[in-house]
Amino acid sequence: MTDTRDEFETSAASTGPPPLLRFVAAKAGGGVVSLFLVAVLGFFLFRVLPGDPARTMTRSTPVSAEQLAALRHRFGLDQPLYLQFRDFVIDLLHGDLGTSYIYNRPVAELILERVGPTVLLVGTATVLAVLVGLWMGARAAWHQGGPVDRWFTSVGLTLWSVPTFWLGLLALMAFGVGVGPLPGLFPVAGMSSANVPAGVVPHVLDVAHHLVLPCLTLVAVIYAQFMMVMRTSLLEEMGAEYLTTARAKGLREDLVRRRHAVPNALLPTVTLIFLHLGLVVAGAITVETVFSWPGLGLLTYEALRVPDLPLLQGTFIVLAGSVIVMNVLAELVYRLLDPRVRDS
Amino acid sequence: MTPILRLDGVSVTYRGEDGPHRAVVDANLTLRPGATLGLAGESGCGKTSLALAVLRLLPRSARVDGTILLDGHDIERLTWGELRAARWTSASVVFQGAMHALNPVRTVAEQIAEPIRLHSPERPAAARVRARVTELLEQVELPGARRDAYPHELSGGQRQRVMIAMALACDPRLIIADEPTTALDVVVQAQVLALLRRLVSERGIALLMISHDLSVLAASCRCLGVMYRGRLVEEGPARQLVATPEHEHTRALAAAFPTIGDEGSRYPGAGEPGESAGGVRGSLLAAEGVSVEFGDRYRNRVRAVRDVDLEVMGDEILALVGQSGSGKTTLARTLLGLCPPNAGTVYYEGRPLATSGRELRAFRGSVQLVLQDPTGALNPKHTVYEAVAEGLRVHGCADDEAVRVREALEAAELRPAEEFTARFPHELSGGQRQRVVIAGALVLRPRVLVADEPVASLDATVRGEILALLLRLRRERGLSALVITHDLGLAWNIADRVAVMRSGEIVETGPVERVLTEPRHDYTKELLAAVPSFEGSVS
Repeated sequence: MTDTRDEFETSAASTGPPPLLRFVAAKAGGGVVSLFLVAVLGFFLFRVLPGDPARTMTRSTPVSAEQLAALRHRFGLDQPLYLQFRDFVIDLLHGDLGTSYIYNRPVAELILERVGPTVLLVGTATVLAVLVGLWMGARAAWHQGGPVDRWFTSVGLTLWSVPTFWLGLLALMAFGVGVGPLPGLFPVAGMSSANVPAGVVPHVLDVAHHLVLPCLTLVAVIYAQFMMVMRTSLLEEMGAEYLTTARAKGLREDLVRRRHAVPNALLPTVTLIFLHLGLVVAGAITVETVFSWPGLGLLTYEALRVPDLPLLQGTFIVLAGSVIVMNVLAELVYRLLDPRVRDS
Repeated sequence: MTPILRLDGVSVTYRGEDGPHRAVVDANLTLRPGATLGLAGESGCGKTSLALAVLRLLPRSARVDGTILLDGHDIERLTWGELRAARWTSASVVFQGAMHALNPVRTVAEQIAEPIRLHSPERPAAARVRARVTELLEQVELPGARRDAYPHELSGGQRQRVMIAMALACDPRLIIADEPTTALDVVVQAQVLALLRRLVSERGIALLMISHDLSVLAASCRCLGVMYRGRLVEEGPARQLVATPEHEHTRALAAAFPTIGDEGSRYPGAGEPGESAGGVRGSLLAAEGVSVEFGDRYRNRVRAVRDVDLEVMGDEILALVGQSGSGKTTLARTLLGLCPPNAGTVYYEGRPLATSGRELRAFRGSVQLVLQDPTGALNPKHTVYEAVAEGLRVHGCADDEAVRVREALEAAELRPAEEFTARFPHELSGGQRQRVVIAGALVLRPRVLVADEPVASLDATVRGEILALLLRLRRERGLSALVITHDLGLAWNIADRVAVMRSGEIVETGPVERVLTEPRHDYTKELLAAVPSFEGSVS
């Protein structure tokens, strides 16, 4: 037996990377199918709800039977279910989500209007929570059992367990309305004030000012999950043998952590982060309601109270859709981060 | 000449929940530049603690007493900065790279380049680092094209070569190799050992090699030391230590690696089929023209098993040997009815294997599987009793459960059985766990035991006990066994017949004495040549 002989078992991976395009196409295809199923589910789910939409629409005013019939005809409610479904699908393919009962405007238009504020609020909060959570989780795990770990973990878990609306109300009272001698520092409702001088900069500052309280409330409630997942995942990596290799090479402790431990520990958090990004559009219904933030969450809340079926159906499809899209993205990002997934 | 490494009365003590645990007690050794020393011992004997202490890599719970002089410097007196500078430049480590010593998300080139960049006085040019990595990969006989591979894309042997390239990166004067070939199969092991031997002798690097496998050390090191319970119990030139071991533990280690062809290293009863009490003659479990194909991720068909004929006779221990990837585990799964063959038939007691229903269940009861790693095979949340009784419950024979579990435990030599039933796997030693796995198989009163590397993860002394148990079960119960292994020594120890498998085909079958002493097929000869032997010690 000589050294030069090639080894018996050789890796199959040397034949080149599997086609990325096919993977993306397959995942995207799967996403489209899920999206269609969600639309179908949304349609029938809201049709089996008890109650007559025509009556809810005219709850406050007395109407005759003819008027009700006219209303039903206008919204297509007098058609058999399968015809309604056919129209719904055709409209959906044209990007038409129907007309809201309460606003009397196209649902798609309403949703488009509200998406911006929600993405701004929940997107900012999620990004902050992810950064803060991952950093704290890494620190806590590296100093496991120490004071840093104990403080980070207990504070994080306490905030996580607090009901969002309650924390929001507290923040609203303490920093919005003002307590005792403390003046209200931040606006209590909405996304912008009426009397702001014209121009981009004052407008941005005004929105940012409005953003502070709802955003911090959300961050406080959600960052702990990123922290805990990061902490657990890093703790699992900390016994890994490749860290001993890295230390033996002469790397400083913080380089061992940054270059070797954290990149591996990040992998499990990716799924969680993207699941959350999917829920960004869903907004935080409670936070948006407490702070009257004009986003999708507030819109959903309003639609639920009526109930405004086309609007609910529309928000339902958009929310589910964003979760599906983010899941597909998560799989793609995971492939970039973990070479082992790339080949399987 | 100053020794490259000198240990003076070194002890390593771990603080534990149940008091201090002394892993290394008063170890003394001296390693001159270019010398090679092998340190042998079972798991837990303190050999790895000793190696890690040299670069102060032990966890915080460990305390080191005595002096360790690395290249003339007392490493306990170095500042962290000086220590980091000494790491990898004075001494580097070859860990068991086949497993987890490489970072899974970084390419091998990055990992080899890391110490080069780290220990250069000024920032080296990227092109120079690249050239150095290519040079190192060439030295370990890896094609340069593999530089951008990730560890999981390489075979075990290739990963170990990467570890060696990495260890050479900063031209150290000492290399510590901790189980460098464990988990590699014989042929690859021989290649890696030859490579390591050649590189250290060419460069005059001192080598401290640690292994549980005395034969691997004897084949690579001039001097050997044997550790037992934290103490260095015997030390001397390899040849002498192996030929005339003085300490009884050295003898036990040497016995675990039998000299093939030496009648004295066969266990009593081996090679004497058909002499048991209740044994049945004739074919018990047989494969006829069996082929198994898999689709890989590129949708290519891989033929794992090709047109194999194999027979396990009643009252016989048959060893199926071959390298990893030769298809022996797939063949065993097919014989167990766990993996349907694409062609050919499996017969049990002369009848084709049922594919479903009651008959298949009865068959599964009479042919039982024992896996390599007892820690993985046992549910950590189940007691020993639960683990053993599970098979009975699955097969619906629950009437005399407690009695049968006790019988099985005692048959597996866990006596008294009452002492073990309520315990959990983590409270048992490795050997006891493997006995629990075997008891779990015995409880169904099988006719054939299929054992996949049954002792590969066990220590030398425990290995002997488990092998003796297999032979005793054959003698007393007429239990046949199909033992799958890459270890020809194991086949020599206990088997009656041996079948050699390569690339999915059986290339040679016959009685152990004939096949292993007068091999006919070239591949069998190759396998035998790769077994590290004391005769092959460097002179």
